[in-house]
Amino acid sequence: MPTVRLRAAAEYPPSSQKLFELSRAWFNYDFVEPPAMSRVMAWDVEFGAPHGRAMKRAMGPGEFTRGEKEMVAAVVSGINACEY
Amino acid sequence: MTGDAFWYEAAQVVGITNALNVAADTLDGLEAVDEAGAPAEVRALFAEMRDFYESETVPPGFRFIAHDPAYAAEVWAATRHAFADHCLTRRLKEALAFAVSVTSRSTSGTVFHLSELRRLGVGPRGVMEIVGVTQMFSSYTKIADTLQLEPDMGGIAPEDPSPPPGGIPPGDSALR
Repeated sequence: MPTVRLRAAAEYPPSSQKLFELSRAWFNYDFVEPPAMSRVMAWDVEFGAPHGRAMKRAMGPGEFTRGEKEMVAAVVSGINACEY
Repeated sequence: MTGDAFWYEAAQVVGITNALNVAADTLDGLEAVDEAGAPAEVRALFAEMRDFYESETVPPGFRFIAHDPAYAAEVWAATRHAFADHCLTRRLKEALAFAVSVTSRSTSGTVFHLSELRRLGVGPRGVMEIVGVTQMFSSYTKIADTLQLEPDMGGIAPEDPSPPPGGIPPGDSALR
């Protein structure tokens, strides 16, 4: 069980709603509620926004495709024993 | 990369990379095999590795586990299979192994797989891409763990209904 209460998207201010739109576009998936991680990162946009931009830059296509990078991300998550 | 076969291959790479890194990073107290005086089967094994990697380098862990040549040969067979081109390219597999090594703080694995990445044509930008993904997801995972977030994105990818290689599709089980 999360150590914090995850707020519904509707509770966030308009400035955070943009992050949810970006999240929906990034995953190309129509979530009923933005993923928990998106809501966590939207809590403080001064951290979440640059962190999200760094992630987007790292995950964008280059010498490796986005799909290949998603696999690298999954492997890193596995080594870190992160269930999320 | 939506089918499960890709992920089974990735898991093999992660597992065997971790196994080799564990040996290479921790067995300093165990003397490495002296190749010049080693049995012919060990020298043949090392020659096969050099051929596979097109290099004079033998993956560090094997220099320790080759004290048991039969065991080392089986580990090598699994390693070679895991890293060969199948559904995933050898280049991507080396990128995965590099990410595994960086994430698990394996110095020997990081050095070895970085050299393999370069040998396979990945440039500084490509290496930085893997470093960036590794770093970002080392951040996300720790944020998720700290807040004990529960998985909620499993529905994005569709389930792969195909059977194991050579197997029978679920709907055809009556044919057994």
